[in-house]
Amino acid sequence: MSEKNYEFVVKRKDDNGKESYSSYEVPKDKISTVLEGLIYIKENFDQTLSFRYSCRMEICGSCGMEVNGKPRTACSTIVSQLGTDRVKVDPMKHYEVIKDLVVDMDPFFTKYSEGLPYIIREGEEDYSSEIPQTPEQFKEYEQYSMCIKCGLCMAACPIVGSDEDYMGPAPLAAVLRYNKDNRDQGSKYRLEIVDGDEGTSRCHFVGECTEVCPKGVDPSFAIQRLRMQGVRYELGKFFRRRK
Amino acid sequence: MVICGGVIKMENKTLKKPMTSRGTLGTVSWFFQVISGLFLVFFVGVHLYLAHIDFGHPIVFYDSVINNLKNPWWLLFYIAFVWVVTYHGLNGLKGILYDMGTRPKTRKYIAYILVAVYIVTVIYGTILAIIVSQIVIP
Amino acid sequence: MEKNTSESKEGILGWAKFKGKGVGYFGFTFQRVSGVVILFYLYLHYTVLSNLLHGQATYNSIVQSITYGPYDLFIVFDILLALVIFYHGANGIRLALNEMGIGLKHNKAFFVIFESISMVLLLLFLYYAWLFVAA
Repeated sequence: MSEKNYEFVVKRKDDNGKESYSSYEVPKDKISTVLEGLIYIKENFDQTLSFRYSCRMEICGSCGMEVNGKPRTACSTIVSQLGTDRVKVDPMKHYEVIKDLVVDMDPFFTKYSEGLPYIIREGEEDYSSEIPQTPEQFKEYEQYSMCIKCGLCMAACPIVGSDEDYMGPAPLAAVLRYNKDNRDQGSKYRLEIVDGDEGTSRCHFVGECTEVCPKGVDPSFAIQRLRMQGVRYELGKFFRRRK
Repeated sequence: MVICGGVIKMENKTLKKPMTSRGTLGTVSWFFQVISGLFLVFFVGVHLYLAHIDFGHPIVFYDSVINNLKNPWWLLFYIAFVWVVTYHGLNGLKGILYDMGTRPKTRKYIAYILVAVYIVTVIYGTILAIIVSQIVIP
Repeated sequence: MEKNTSESKEGILGWAKFKGKGVGYFGFTFQRVSGVVILFYLYLHYTVLSNLLHGQATYNSIVQSITYGPYDLFIVFDILLALVIFYHGANGIRLALNEMGIGLKHNKAFFVIFESISMVLLLLFLYYAWLFVAA
């Protein structure tokens, strides 16, 4: 490896499920991010390398992968800031690998949709006009609505790794985002779902999800808030039933 | 479920059960874990101080243990200690076993077994403490 | 080489991979390990205390044998147990504060502060306990 090149070591998995590592030399002056490096490899060295990407600007959330052992979005990881010339790229952990760096995101999206991440209204209303919301009310949940569903938090969470049914950080943060929305009236349905054995009670504040989140959503804080909401809801239900 | 004007309206009877059973009480059991943990910091502190330091008169040997339990407040303290520490320990173990990704059916058995162990331990501990407090030192 | 990365389920061995992880990861795993150790000791403790029913001679001989003699190597386990209890308590307080929403953004600082305080207390405790045993 010369001074002028980065060494990219990429995990490969072909159609037969055979796994190996391929190594490529990428010139330093041609690329700045890991994603650009992978695109350079695909254009110049190896057309068979598969990886997902779309926007290249940390908005679409498709290029999640493990760079040097840490889950990151490849598009926003600048190679010169990694502190080493050897870039090791693996597919995200805790997902089924389809090919090379492409993983099966279906379980993640299923869990995401299980938390009812949409506005729920009760009663008969006329929806011809909008439901008002002040900037302060928007600020309440703004942070949690920044999630781009890249799934990095699921790859970082040790509990997702050992208990694949655990909902995971991003779906729980999405639940809080809608519970905090003033237009929403469906908190009790969501708390009913997340208060169980596979919801918030599986979180033990390892804090890795917050560490890897590229958008600053802070899922571990979201889970803490959600847990307090859940405790209040469960205890309230318990005492109301005995009246 | 009715979709009108981009807003999804949901009524109680139309709410479908989630795909995997997520049960209830997980949050509350973990909340009690925190509360019991904070109590135990106090309990264990007092216990360690009495049993190992207490500047010259630690409660270690037979006579000192029984004399200590003769005081009804200490008896109450130790019985409460047994109840709380056993809950904290077994609930923590439950958390570890659940985190291993056990199936819901296995979890039911784990919960039953741990509740049984808890009840047996607590009853045994309470009876032991009361019997010991009644022993007359020769 | 790292055959686990391609599997969707990492298992509990994944809890022990600290490389490149934050301090919360380490705290989490050792909270579990120390918890299991303490639970095991708790039942051992209940068993020893049951010997109170067997009279003064039996109980005192057990306590004597693990403090002074022939099994005084047990003191090593006692010190390890004290270490584990103090660690578990300090980390537990940090987690309880987390539960109330305090310190989630400064996990590392909280971890270091609480563990330092508890280790100082541990040393004090061991010193005074040693004064008694040596006397």
